[in-house]
Amino acid sequence: MPGMRLARWAAAVPMAALALATIYPLVFTANVAMKTRRDYVLDRFSPAASPRFDNIAEAWAGAGMARYFANSFVVVAFSVLLLLLLGSMAGFALSRLRFRGSTVIFLGCLAGLFVPFQVIMVPLTRIMADSGLVDTYPGLILAYVAQFLPFTVFLMTSHYRTIPAEIVDAARIDGNTVYGVYRRIMLPLGVPALLSVGILNTLFCWNDVLISLLMMPSPEHRTLMIGVNSLRGQYSDDIPTFASGVLIAAVPVLMIYLFLQRRIADGVTAGSTKG
Amino acid sequence: MRQQRWWAVLMVAGLAVTGCGSAARTESPSSGKASQEQRKLVVWDWKSGEPAAATYIEKAKADFAGRHPGVTVEFVAQPFDQYYTLLGTAIQSGKGPDVMLFNGGGQIRDRADALLPLDQYVAADKSRLAGWDAFSKDGKIYAAPVTLQGHPIYYNKALYEKAGLDPAKPPATWDELLESCAAIKKATGATCFALGNKEGAGIQFWMSGLGSGILTPQEYDDWIAGKRDWSSPHVRRIFELWKEAQDKGLNNEGANSTAMFTDIFRVFETGKAAHIIGLMSDVGHWKDFGEFLPPDKIGVMQAPVDSEGATPSLPYDGGIGYGVAKWTKDPELAADLVRSLTSTGALTAFYAKAGAIASDTTIDVSQAGPAVATIVQQIKAGKPALHVALSSKTLDLMGRLSQQLLSGSATVDEVVEQLAASDRAG
Repeated sequence: MPGMRLARWAAAVPMAALALATIYPLVFTANVAMKTRRDYVLDRFSPAASPRFDNIAEAWAGAGMARYFANSFVVVAFSVLLLLLLGSMAGFALSRLRFRGSTVIFLGCLAGLFVPFQVIMVPLTRIMADSGLVDTYPGLILAYVAQFLPFTVFLMTSHYRTIPAEIVDAARIDGNTVYGVYRRIMLPLGVPALLSVGILNTLFCWNDVLISLLMMPSPEHRTLMIGVNSLRGQYSDDIPTFASGVLIAAVPVLMIYLFLQRRIADGVTAGSTKG
Repeated sequence: MRQQRWWAVLMVAGLAVTGCGSAARTESPSSGKASQEQRKLVVWDWKSGEPAAATYIEKAKADFAGRHPGVTVEFVAQPFDQYYTLLGTAIQSGKGPDVMLFNGGGQIRDRADALLPLDQYVAADKSRLAGWDAFSKDGKIYAAPVTLQGHPIYYNKALYEKAGLDPAKPPATWDELLESCAAIKKATGATCFALGNKEGAGIQFWMSGLGSGILTPQEYDDWIAGKRDWSSPHVRRIFELWKEAQDKGLNNEGANSTAMFTDIFRVFETGKAAHIIGLMSDVGHWKDFGEFLPPDKIGVMQAPVDSEGATPSLPYDGGIGYGVAKWTKDPELAADLVRSLTSTGALTAFYAKAGAIASDTTIDVSQAGPAVATIVQQIKAGKPALHVALSSKTLDLMGRLSQQLLSGSATVDEVVEQLAASDRAG
């Protein structure tokens, strides 16, 4: 028994260190956000002597964060919805339907995972500009869908492949059309994977800076991360206000993790065992 | 039925999104007042979003609106760290703003092909503004200077006093500097230089800040003219001193891991270092230090002389300036906006609020304190900064090599050899 206890402690110490390393940046950011610039310059690591929320209010109101927040929400919501719809349909088709060229299409999707955004940003900008989609919500949504669809298709295809083929066959024997099989059988069975992919895509889209900068040049259409970035100048360094912006931007992400962490874990392990 | 409802929701949502957020620029041709009423000019920069530049932008917009009442001007403040990436994309795709901000030197020269020569539009401003060279290539002007950017060596007079040194007589030679720094270190614990080189930018400040005390005037002028002799012992000496300063503990701890623009000016202003090679535009300068160092405690000294024949001078160029894109629909209108952005009224506001040494030589700076007075006094005899003459590619390489020099993983000879090759390649 003492051996077991020792082993538990041996495991607990590195785990605690890992937890601390993860939590500390957040605590540090929150602490800096509550300091004056002067206090920060004199000692950035000390606890805020008299915590203040002026910086957060300034970052929220002064930088127009409410607008950026709304923009991000609209763009991310529609992007993720489209990604899930298209990704799950493509995943179902590529994993369960037999048609000529399916392997080539799947490999094409896989290849999309290996193309860095920087490689396609010039042609993408040109196409979007020529199509009149620059500085529009649909333009940014399409860009996000194009960028993250390969990842979504790959994961959904992998997930659907773990579902026994007999289920699909049984559904067809029961008289379902292909679309009926997708909607009544595969879509519900894909929920754990859809949740994982949805959460990950939400984070990708929410945290993006470069695509959003390229697609949304007008200040009033910018997303939250651009708003946070705009709190920094070329050389200026009002770090407490910037930290406040970072904190504001991090809240939705933290909420997702806090409330959906079980779902994320379920999604990751979904299909890993049979029976 | 449920299926139909589902698709209906999706379609409505799609239509809602499509309906929102179109802000395409009006592309009407512009001649005459009627067309001006529908015109819109888009400006990209990284300054207009900063509080210190707010009054400057307001003044410039008001000046422009007075002459072109029907024209809308939209400033788009881009994050600086993404600015040239975005600009590069805009240039390559031929879609972008009408007017854009540039740093002087390599950043604008590398992109001159995408810009409109402004000579005919800014002729009347030539004598009033200084710093044109940094925005010129092959004899043509591609942007009008807003600020002058230079690298004065600031020193903390309070630390000099504590060390028993005369704050009115800063060291004039490298050896005197070493003696003064030793005295300051002993009395106050402060290091000699505040140096941040995390991004590899510290070496640029070092080269330009100290260069005029190391190169002879002829070597200096040749360097600026493009006849750079990398085999000169004086050029080699710039990098030797860079390494020597680190090896002798003249720099603050962790120079290679300290960010220049967010952290290093704080090291100086809080008295942890006695000297800093700073800036004279709108940050990293006398006014920026004011929260901790009152104006009478900030001194500006010339580069300490290290080589016989060297004649110290203030290194400066045009700092930032606005240029006009080649693809703009109405070049005259866009150029006129550039003129408003460099008008005396706007630049006076920039100087007053941000403390920038503006490009306008007619602005009265007599109330700004001794440091500004010294800088302005030195402008007449000043010369372009050494690092600005290098291409951005060579500057990137120099940044990386400077880190290796500080960490001891490259020798001075290796560094000079690689830089010479890069410089020759152009």
